[in-house]
Amino acid sequence: MPIKLTDIARLAQILEKSGVDTIEIEEPGQSLKLVVDTGPRMAASAAPAAPAAPAAPAIDHSVIAKADVAGHFLAAHPWRDQPFVAQGQRIEAGTTVGLVKIGLLYAPIVAPAAGTVDAVIAETGATVGYGTPIVRIRPLS
Amino acid sequence: MTTPDRPRISLLGTSALLFEAPGAFDLPHQRRIWALAATASKWPDIREAIPGITNMMLTFETPPRELDALIAALNDGWDAAEGLAIGGREIRLPVTYGGEIGSSLQSVADHCGLSADDVVSIHAAPLYTVFALGSHPGYCYLGGMDPRITMPRRQTPLQRSAGGSVSIGGSQTGVSASPGPSGWHAIGHTSWTFFDSSWPTPAALTPGDTIRFVIERVIR
Amino acid sequence: MIEILSVTGPASVQDLGRFDQYRFGVGTSGAMDDVALRAGNILLGNDENAAGIEIPMLPFKLRFDRNMAFALTGADVEAEISGRVIPPWWRSRARTGDVLTIKAMPRGARLYLTVGGGIDVPMVLGSRSTQFRGEFGGWHGRPLQVGDILPCAASTATIGELGVEPAEITLARPNTAADETIVRVVIAGEYDGFDAATQALFWSSSWKITPQSNRYGYRLQGPAVKPKAPIEKRSHGIVPGVIQIPPNGQPIIQMRDAQTSGGYPKIATVIGADLWRVGQARLGSRLRFEQTAYTDALAAEAEMSAYLDRLRTNVRLVEETRICRSS
Repeated sequence: MPIKLTDIARLAQILEKSGVDTIEIEEPGQSLKLVVDTGPRMAASAAPAAPAAPAAPAIDHSVIAKADVAGHFLAAHPWRDQPFVAQGQRIEAGTTVGLVKIGLLYAPIVAPAAGTVDAVIAETGATVGYGTPIVRIRPLS
Repeated sequence: MTTPDRPRISLLGTSALLFEAPGAFDLPHQRRIWALAATASKWPDIREAIPGITNMMLTFETPPRELDALIAALNDGWDAAEGLAIGGREIRLPVTYGGEIGSSLQSVADHCGLSADDVVSIHAAPLYTVFALGSHPGYCYLGGMDPRITMPRRQTPLQRSAGGSVSIGGSQTGVSASPGPSGWHAIGHTSWTFFDSSWPTPAALTPGDTIRFVIERVIR
Repeated sequence: MIEILSVTGPASVQDLGRFDQYRFGVGTSGAMDDVALRAGNILLGNDENAAGIEIPMLPFKLRFDRNMAFALTGADVEAEISGRVIPPWWRSRARTGDVLTIKAMPRGARLYLTVGGGIDVPMVLGSRSTQFRGEFGGWHGRPLQVGDILPCAASTATIGELGVEPAEITLARPNTAADETIVRVVIAGEYDGFDAATQALFWSSSWKITPQSNRYGYRLQGPAVKPKAPIEKRSHGIVPGVIQIPPNGQPIIQMRDAQTSGGYPKIATVIGADLWRVGQARLGSRLRFEQTAYTDALAAEAEMSAYLDRLRTNVRLVEETRICRSS
């Protein structure tokens, strides 16, 4: 479904109210990044920072758990030493793989499919937006 | 620390304040407390004005920013308070003195240099006035106890004391309405319902009512 | 409805409390950690005074008899529902027949289970809180037992999983050592009855919370704090937070089920904005008092209101973002 102008206006309003400065939405065939201008800032990079060694397989069947709100990524609950998931871990569809801290809240990032954790892409504390890839999962075949 | 003939006013955090009247623990002072409480309970931002023993606690709906005006109002209110004579009911309450529940009867007697029988007859002699409700649901603080049977409160409060306990704490006496912790000394017990949350007014007794203890039995 | 399958210790139904029945000798009762109860209710879109279950000991297990949203706040928790792990300070959804198993409380002392719409027990004297001493309110005026089936109010909200940063993190007090709780207090009526050295001892001591601490009061252990001369007060009203000094010199902090009056000298009162910290302090851990002025205590209350406002706004924002995207 295409993103409508009214959605953008609504999202901008929400951003302004919440004090969150960036929101990103990625959907098949389209992506949107809204930045609230809060004075001088570094130019936002156009491309997402690529992992140092992509080494992606020739045919990539992996699925990505993505953030669905803008905020800061937390790999572990602050009361826990262990992250929600680690590389190589078997997980079910719906498993919480991390949190996005937005203001006082923690929004869960959930695995879209069952499989094995290939990599936790995002780093704890990193700013993430809607659609930011967080965890790569190799699905059960 | 304080001028003896002026009231003491102190804070209970930010949710309440305590007003302590100068003077004796007697009915005339208590009647002035009742009058002050009746007035103060109508002040803005006051949730309740709760009489204690010649003192009163005010709980706040909203804590005052400045305390000076409230303190002045309390002092003026006390000076202006005419004794409020409440014509209460008289309740006759049968009491079993001593026994398991009233196990402190002998220690009160020893402390006061009296026999257990003396303590019982001295305790049952007066017509007591309900000065205040407090402690736990339906509990009445009574005025009128003979000072000869005064005994200081416990060094360490008991975790559990039986419901219906007739006890002495300092120069006060009262009857517990339900089991619970207590720093007082139980000398007897009664079976009577002091409180029911389904009654229109949940407590059976109200300040100004009077109680006469009737000696039903003394277990020595 | 929810059915209690397993319970350890005195779990009870509590709302924020019963605040206007002192004149009948009825104390406030209410959640020992009011911040956690409010946070759970805010997460669920409930009235903040909706009743939840206060759980002081584990294990605890219950079954949901219909689909409903619930939240766990307060202490840290190891909990599971139909194989899913529930993180601390979290709201989630249960399906009919789901069993919630709460196994451990790695930190904190009390856990709050709130449900969409609230636990629907009757209001008694203006509150749904359990009055243990008077044996009314809550669920038949008593602690919960295995087999109890608690009614829950209907709630139409369809909501997703969401967590809150634990209040202990957001509202952390500076310079607090691990396993020590610092609470702010306003001095009380008999403070001046203690000499300067004894007052200093009260402030400097790290008080141990004894096993005789519960909803009635927290009994502390440390150096004896005794007044210059014995003080025996005429009985007067007291409120939760008041710190009494009985003749043995060991302070007792009055808590939610405290008697409404007392006569032991009062050295200080824990401020309302910090009382929840006492409610989450574990038996055997340490407690320290920090003197604060009345006006600063009012400011602390204003900060607490601002925190709760922010929490409400944040929850609304996330719901709106989700609705916006899904429409």
